[in-house]
Amino acid sequence: MLQTWRELLQYRFLLKQLVIVNLKVRYKNSVLGFLWTLLNPLFMMLVFTVLFTIMLPQAAVPNFPLFVLVALLPWQFFSNSVMMSTSSVVGNAHLIKKVYFPREVLPLSTVLSNLVNFALALVVLFGMMVVLRGPFTIWILLLPLIIAVQLIFTLGWAFFLSTATVFYRDVPMIMDVLMLAWFFLTPIFYPITILPQSKEVFGIVLNVQRLAYVLNPMASLIASYRVILYDGAPPAWDFLLRTTVTAIAFLILGYLFFRRFRRSMAEEV
Amino acid sequence: MSAAISFDDVSKRFVLRHERAYTVLESMIGLVKPARRSTEEFWALRDVSFEIVAGETFGIIGPNGAGKSTILKLMARILEPTSGEVTVRGRISPLLELGAGFHPELTGRENVYLNAALFGVSQAEAQDRYDEIVEFSELRDFIDVPLKHYSSGMYMRLGFAVAANIIPDVLLVDEVLAVGDEAFHKKCLSKIEEFRREGRTIVFVSHDLPTVRRICHQAMWLDRGQVRAVGPSEQVVDGYLRSSLAV
Repeated sequence: MLQTWRELLQYRFLLKQLVIVNLKVRYKNSVLGFLWTLLNPLFMMLVFTVLFTIMLPQAAVPNFPLFVLVALLPWQFFSNSVMMSTSSVVGNAHLIKKVYFPREVLPLSTVLSNLVNFALALVVLFGMMVVLRGPFTIWILLLPLIIAVQLIFTLGWAFFLSTATVFYRDVPMIMDVLMLAWFFLTPIFYPITILPQSKEVFGIVLNVQRLAYVLNPMASLIASYRVILYDGAPPAWDFLLRTTVTAIAFLILGYLFFRRFRRSMAEEV
Repeated sequence: MSAAISFDDVSKRFVLRHERAYTVLESMIGLVKPARRSTEEFWALRDVSFEIVAGETFGIIGPNGAGKSTILKLMARILEPTSGEVTVRGRISPLLELGAGFHPELTGRENVYLNAALFGVSQAEAQDRYDEIVEFSELRDFIDVPLKHYSSGMYMRLGFAVAANIIPDVLLVDEVLAVGDEAFHKKCLSKIEEFRREGRTIVFVSHDLPTVRRICHQAMWLDRGQVRAVGPSEQVVDGYLRSSLAV
């Protein structure tokens, strides 16, 4: 384990290069180039603003465009990272077969380049918060902490999925469907309070609202983003702590799975 | 004299799966009727032991399929041995394939950095070496052109320039000297000569027996995954030639 760390440290220039390549290649040959990283969230925000203030005004939730955006941007960071990480090892088969380097840099660089995109989208979001009169409170300082927890959770998935795709090529297709379901099960376009607190399903009374939180680490993460960026209030500490523990557990499990198979990757991809 | 590379009873088995379950559905079917899955084992190397002394030029010869490339991949740590132990001291610059890891959409300059990073060097070292690499490749006029517009000769030249200028402790060379035109070919050979004089370890895999005889101190003759002979290159090459003629 210590040796892996030392090696990753030695190869940090490679990690940096791969992140840069990921970002560069996406916008290569486009006229606006890197500006798209900023324009994409900006256009999305404009569409939401028009949609939810003019076409579908939401009376129940004030400032609905901001309500959605503070949740949707972190979700996109998660979802893009997860989907891109499925092919991070398989898509670099030509490298794995020809050169030795710590395989960890492949999923790591995928997630980190999405983190860079997310950070840029947040800059745009802060701009929108000024326009939409969002709350700027002391709690915004907690943002790096919440991002860190999400990063840990995402990395766990990235390590697991990049390895699983080496052995089963239908992992990306499965994840496509799963992420769609996950998106709707996470309170992004709706407040969690609209979920019923007691609902009878097959004769059992369930507190759906609580279950949606407890079973879904993303729900708790998204709620934390929303509470500090939209409500301007402190996050629910107990849920955040529980999510942190879950995220660390996912990273450990995902990485152990990756480690178990990383040696045979050159033969299997 | 210390060993730069040592192989200790190394065997490498490849499992050839004729019906590999690539999808979840296929593997579930496999659970129901497992008999349909046929696998075949192939031993690319069996109980191979040898040592390469630091500073020597070591040739590996043998017919196709003898396991030469497998040995290089084990040295480069791309493959793991099935049993036995491979020990390598120092940084290896594998010339297994020139330009491995080049990205066609990126420029020559960007690819030099990316490729240097793949060999595990730091940012500072890559920046230090950059000018030498470009000078060596003779591609200064094209360095800001995306690689997809390069000819295959230019591509190879840039690949060799990076690999040869990263200053490895151990240089692995696998039949890559047929690179570019006559002039560049000579330049590559003289670079190898320079490595030799500097006392770096070189592992040279080739079918070019006269060159092996001339530049290698020691050589190993491999046949169907087993060592037939190791020793001074003249003796090993002569032995190999005699046996091929006898057939």
